[in-house]
Amino acid sequence: MTLLALPSNREEAWRWSDLSALPALADRVPTGEVPGALPWIACAQEGARLLFVDGRLDESRSRTGPVEIGQVAVETGHPLGRLAGKTGWSLKLGRDHAPPGLVQIVHVSTGAADHLTAEILLDDDAQASIVETYVGEGWTNRLTGIALGRSARLMLSRRILGESGFASLTDQAALGEGASLVVAMLAVGGRDTRLDGEIDLAGEGAYAEAAGALLARGRQRHDANLVVRHLLPLGMSRQIWRSVADDQAACSVAARVEVARDAQKTDGEQSLKGLLLARSATINAKPELEIFADDVKCAHGATVGELDRAALFYLESRGVSPDEARALLTRAFVADALERVGEEKVREAFYADAERWFA
Amino acid sequence: MLKIENLHATVDGKPILKGISLNLKPGEIHAIMGPNGSGKSTLAYVLAGRPGYEVTEGAVTLDGEDLLEMEPHARAAHGMFLGFQYPVEIPGVSNVQFLRTALNAQRRARSEAELSAGEFLRVARAQADALGLDMEMMKRAVNVGFSGGEKKRNEMVQMGIIDPRLAILDETDSGLDIDALRVVGNGINRIMRKPDKAVLLITHYQRLLDIVEPDFVHVLAGGRIVRSGGAELAHELEREGYGEMAA
Repeated sequence: MTLLALPSNREEAWRWSDLSALPALADRVPTGEVPGALPWIACAQEGARLLFVDGRLDESRSRTGPVEIGQVAVETGHPLGRLAGKTGWSLKLGRDHAPPGLVQIVHVSTGAADHLTAEILLDDDAQASIVETYVGEGWTNRLTGIALGRSARLMLSRRILGESGFASLTDQAALGEGASLVVAMLAVGGRDTRLDGEIDLAGEGAYAEAAGALLARGRQRHDANLVVRHLLPLGMSRQIWRSVADDQAACSVAARVEVARDAQKTDGEQSLKGLLLARSATINAKPELEIFADDVKCAHGATVGELDRAALFYLESRGVSPDEARALLTRAFVADALERVGEEKVREAFYADAERWFA
Repeated sequence: MLKIENLHATVDGKPILKGISLNLKPGEIHAIMGPNGSGKSTLAYVLAGRPGYEVTEGAVTLDGEDLLEMEPHARAAHGMFLGFQYPVEIPGVSNVQFLRTALNAQRRARSEAELSAGEFLRVARAQADALGLDMEMMKRAVNVGFSGGEKKRNEMVQMGIIDPRLAILDETDSGLDIDALRVVGNGINRIMRKPDKAVLLITHYQRLLDIVEPDFVHVLAGGRIVRSGGAELAHELEREGYGEMAA
């Protein structure tokens, strides 16, 4: 029996999580069976492709390009992030550099637990777009450290697919002057998730966006916890989360914006919306604002509701079946979050993933 | 085509329709007029199968089939179209996407071939043009940001695209100015005035009936049809009001 020091539900930041499955997953032995079809995204300009099976690089099916494998050190106090260890992958781009094409990383879990740390360091004016796709059925635990130099730009897209098990992703990001970070997530498989993100806007005029669509059914749980810290003036941040819960499932999103005393002219916006497809499902939305500067604009909205009955009848009266009508409206509901994905091919993949959820 | 016999219906347990009988044959346009609260919209919703509208007595058949047994989408697939008095806004779903989904769902239900995106857009463009609605609007979310008149025109564009055999038009003329009324009225004639089609036109006013000339006019009051006649009945109502008949 592995001894895992896991946080308890008594802690405020973990009250909506259910980590009870993790010790058993950590004790399991991986099957090592990799599915034949892997969720690579076909795009015009192919970039690096990395396949990790149970946290280990499958070299025969990877071309690492600018990505390095080895020791990675990301400091964290996060209880799951701490478990991620000191090895993993890193993408370090010098000033003005951009890797050719999209960097794709597929993480396959074959039934047990695996841990990996990653580091993304972009020097001034460098830019990259990375898509990570998680499939399989074990516990996938990841810690990602991100540091963006002046005017660096990173688009990080994540698809959490997988049939069962658990995915815990912890991100820690620091943005320099005028840097831009967009993180877009889609959790649409059968896995439970715990998603943590801390983004520090540590340079003037930095831009951060954290968007996600969480879809859950059965007894599934998705739990996202985000903090955006505006430390210097003229920063802009957007948090756009859409949760959909059916059956006895629960989706929880806690999103906080902190504006430091010096962070004048901050422009922050939070939009947390939940859609209940069954009365037995649960949506938790917890928007938080902590503002110490006096000249800021921070908008926040949180709503939880059901599908609009009038809209359902309108669709049905035109010949759309009840199931199709519900799917059409639910799709429209999560589109706000999926639209944040920058690359067209990646966005199409997100939509296709979501589409399978409705099928 | 549509046969309504002794139809009684309640909304929230409250009786609204108290025994309506009507027989629409192919090629006919029937107008239903009546004061506010007489049950006109309830009749439209009951025929389209809106949840919450409960039929307590009577029968309705469409081409001999029991309409009341069918779910709303099946009624549409059988050729029925409801033009809404208050068209619904659906953020995030474009008109084009909505209508193509709807049309193809109906075609599937009737074992007809589905339309490709290109074929559909050709049909949609022709109908939007005929009703003076910009194709750009068709690409926007359903009725979101549309004016009252644009919503009603959009209902007619939808009717043109879906090309139903039976249209139930619930106060399609309300909220329209004179020009828009003419466009919408001409649209109804163009799409529905055919030997194999029928229309139930629910309206408050004579205006629309000057453009879409009905074969029969019925006066609905207190949940019953209190008088039926030809087109001249509408003129009589316009002169004298509902007062006498509804009493």
